[in-house]
Amino acid sequence: MAGEPDPDEEATSNVSASTEKQLPPPAVLEIEPVYEALGHSRRRYLCYTLLEDTEWSLTDLATKIAAWENDVSEHEVTENQRDRVYVSLYHAHVPKLVDESVITFDEATETITTAEHAEQVMTALEGLGASLDANQETHARSEMDE
Amino acid sequence: MSKRTDDGIMNGDGSTSTDTHWSQLAQRHYEPNGQGELTTALVFAIAEAKGVSPPEVKSPPVYESVDIPAIEDAFFGPDLAGDSRQGVGTVEFQYTNYLVKVRSDGWIQVYEPTEADLS
Repeated sequence: MAGEPDPDEEATSNVSASTEKQLPPPAVLEIEPVYEALGHSRRRYLCYTLLEDTEWSLTDLATKIAAWENDVSEHEVTENQRDRVYVSLYHAHVPKLVDESVITFDEATETITTAEHAEQVMTALEGLGASLDANQETHARSEMDE
Repeated sequence: MSKRTDDGIMNGDGSTSTDTHWSQLAQRHYEPNGQGELTTALVFAIAEAKGVSPPEVKSPPVYESVDIPAIEDAFFGPDLAGDSRQGVGTVEFQYTNYLVKVRSDGWIQVYEPTEADLS
């Protein structure tokens, strides 16, 4: 009879306080492009190279990735090594990243350029730095800071 | 003669979808645990069939014709326990005017329609 509904009131006020918390803007919560873009080592490497420069020719990218995968310098990459990477970029990874709006691809010049979702992908990648060759990351960062 | 440029066709029974006769032009073995990707092996096989170098195989990207990661998962990917899947079968699809078969044992075969059967 004399019971004051204190606990209930407390609970109610907690709930309302938590719902008043500010949610991050929707764009930040849109992480699907990040997962999709970073789900393969060649796409991660491609996104790393975008930290260095926002525009690349497909052949240059293929040469860079082949050098990294085969642990040789870029001028030591064989035609076969480059071709293998080139076709996987052209037929799988580049169209995938175009679908996720991370890059655009100009078919006539075979040039890759960053697109609207590139920034969040590269931000996530920088946070995950350890998953790739550390030298490459250092290299990418040093050229970006200049 | 009609030139078919359909998107991927998948037949569970391993047969081709029309009465067209096909002759094999190239085949290549894909090593699931090797360094290469299924897409790469496939494009190299198509290049051999066309008689060009692999980078000359251009539009459309294979990505737009068939879901390669789905084939990799179904035939060559690990199951939930981390063992390899024992999937048995063949996926067929058309890439430009070629018929491409990817078998669960890793063999990729590329065919072209033979024109003798225009009955």
